Amino acid sequence: MEVLLGITGKDFCIVAASKAAMRGASILKANDDKTRTLNKNTLMAFSGEPGDTVQFAEYIQANIQLYSMRNSSDLSPFEVSSFVRAELAKSLRSRSPYTVNLLLGGYDSIKQKPELYWIDYLASSAPVPYAAHGYAQYYCLSILDKHHHPDISFEQGMKILRMCTDELKRRLPIDFKGVNVKIIDKDGIREEPYSDDKQVYAP
Amino acid sequence: MNALVSRYSQPAYQHEGHSDNDTQKQLALDVAPSLSLNFALPPIASTASWLRAMTDDHANPNVPIKLAHGTTTLAFRFKGGIIVATDSRATAGNWIASQTVKKVIEINSCLLGTMAGGAADCQYWLAYLGMQCRLHELRHKRRISVAAASKILANLVYSYKGMGLSMGTMCAGVTPMEGPALYYVDNDGTRLAGNLFCVGSGQTFAYGVLDAEYKYDMEEDEALELGRRSILAATHRDAYSGGFVNLYHIKEEGWVRHGFNDTNPLFWKYKLEKGEFSNVTSQLV
Amino acid sequence: MAALSHHHLSSTAPFAFQQAPPQNHSGEPTQHAFYPYTDNGGSTLGISGKTFTVIAGDTRSTSGYNINTRYAPKLYPIGGQGPTHKGSKIVLSVVGFAADGRALQERLDTVVKMYRYQHGCEISVKACAQRLSHILYNKRFFPYYVQAILGGIDEETGEGALYSYDPVGSYEREYCRAAGAAASLIMPFLDNQVNLKNQYEPAAVSGFDKKQLVPQPLERPQVEELVRDAFTSAVERHIEVGDGLQMMFITKEGIEEVYFPLKKD
Repeated sequence: MEVLLGITGKDFCIVAASKAAMRGASILKANDDKTRTLNKNTLMAFSGEPGDTVQFAEYIQANIQLYSMRNSSDLSPFEVSSFVRAELAKSLRSRSPYTVNLLLGGYDSIKQKPELYWIDYLASSAPVPYAAHGYAQYYCLSILDKHHHPDISFEQGMKILRMCTDELKRRLPIDFKGVNVKIIDKDGIREEPYSDDKQVYAP
Repeated sequence: MNALVSRYSQPAYQHEGHSDNDTQKQLALDVAPSLSLNFALPPIASTASWLRAMTDDHANPNVPIKLAHGTTTLAFRFKGGIIVATDSRATAGNWIASQTVKKVIEINSCLLGTMAGGAADCQYWLAYLGMQCRLHELRHKRRISVAAASKILANLVYSYKGMGLSMGTMCAGVTPMEGPALYYVDNDGTRLAGNLFCVGSGQTFAYGVLDAEYKYDMEEDEALELGRRSILAATHRDAYSGGFVNLYHIKEEGWVRHGFNDTNPLFWKYKLEKGEFSNVTSQLV
Repeated sequence: MAALSHHHLSSTAPFAFQQAPPQNHSGEPTQHAFYPYTDNGGSTLGISGKTFTVIAGDTRSTSGYNINTRYAPKLYPIGGQGPTHKGSKIVLSVVGFAADGRALQERLDTVVKMYRYQHGCEISVKACAQRLSHILYNKRFFPYYVQAILGGIDEETGEGALYSYDPVGSYEREYCRAAGAAASLIMPFLDNQVNLKNQYEPAAVSGFDKKQLVPQPLERPQVEELVRDAFTSAVERHIEVGDGLQMMFITKEGIEEVYFPLKKD
């Protein structure tokens, strides 16, 4: 019951990932960060098979960072998505594939546009205005279908995110311990404080 | 008159002996009121698992008998009464069996039932419920409460528990003693009273839109709009839902129907006029 | 991928029961030895018009890749007088397992005849349709392996009435319906030609101006042509459909039967 959410707007991209690290019937950690920063303007959120997730994310992170160091320039979000997809596709056809689902949020400083890629463990990749992985898809995509517009402001984006996380708190039977929220925009990547104290009840 | 006499007098051939004969029994059944509770069973020990092997296309897509399934239905209470809305698609495996199913069953002028799960199960048992409700009315000289009606259904499906019935229904109605009342009843015998339910394969998508903007103090047109939009959301994201949006409003005086509207023009209206569904593009990537 | 069937005779005995035991996901045969069904193939179709209803079905009966016979009607007049069903105005079509179909026909026929003996008048199609639903549902836990279509004339309006059923009795009144092996080939054609699905007024091409054509009740010659086209096309692409096309036109005068030969390969 891991939650990954991504929303793009006029000049930003929001990526949210649940904070609970679950194994079997237990929550082992309640402030887990399921994201990795790949370069100045790309962030990857991941969920899936325990172990695979962090291994794969850090492998990608290392390679993207290596590219930045060698060439003194960052890959654009689209280029990163191509690399990640290629690596996943390679892994899928290997003896032990990574079972990892990803959201890739970024800001393309040349096009001056935010970008979001939905990538699953079968190496499907699609650029989308908003995205979710896991059970969040079932509850949040219909909300986003209705409330999202391509040119929303950051405040509106956060409002929609709140609608999504409230719905998940209301309807998911397991507590996912709230979400970490990261913002990618022209100034880079930052963490957005996100309060989690409000109780939400099913009507 | 003829019908009444024939129904309450015994057919002559029942006195001719051999009445325990199979064909005689069959004949008697054929003359009996047709909503009977005598179900044929296969001549084996484990009837339920046999039935599952023959009809459960979720466990095995190659079953010989595919039954009609799949749905989004919702109902919610608000200050102006109850909104009931459904889609209209029936599927058998991947096959769309029908796009024009009426999933709201009009039990009487103040009581509605919704269908999710097995189409035949819902149709038959809600018709049976309608009959029981009418009998209650005749016996007690007043309309049955929603609580009692839903309990008849819950007790009924509970008595068939484990036999393979598949239904998720909502009973919604307004009665003088209860006001607007809404109950959820499903095939494992659960019966819950509540303000808001979504049932079926598209339930989560409908919940998403509905929860986000639901308030008890809504105006009538606001509530109708929210019901319609929630079903549309589900038909857009759930492949097993689609067709038309069937919308009802139950008021104190009884229910009012608000159309059976095609989802396709509805979708384009929301997309082009309000800019919603921004993930749908005409561009190839 | 299309499979060109070949040499099935050499490896398997030509019995329908051979193909019967269903395989589950893991490939192991399912536990149940009791498998009282077989699929006899074929397809049926019904269309209702302003003053008539037509029910049609091909006459081929198959078991697996074998053809049992080239003339096994799937259409049954219900009620009426005597063994020829004289004066009947209701037709039942059943496709799926032919034995279950016959059993169902016999029960419905008995019910309809008993109704006349008791009430001194013919049953209405509406009542007959509901009764058929209940007969099917009475075997909810041991289903008839059939897809039924029932056609007649609505006594109240004089229009054609058509009802379609799933194996356990969920039913709906419609204007057209195809059932059986080639339903997935015929039904889309009917949606387009009878209900005019995805057909728009030619003047307005796009956007909000696009107006869906409104279906009108069809005349009999048009309908007969549609039925023939549906079946000749299904014969071209489905192995279980062919040999002959039987059509029954139900009007207020009664039932008129038409036979039309189909390809026999």
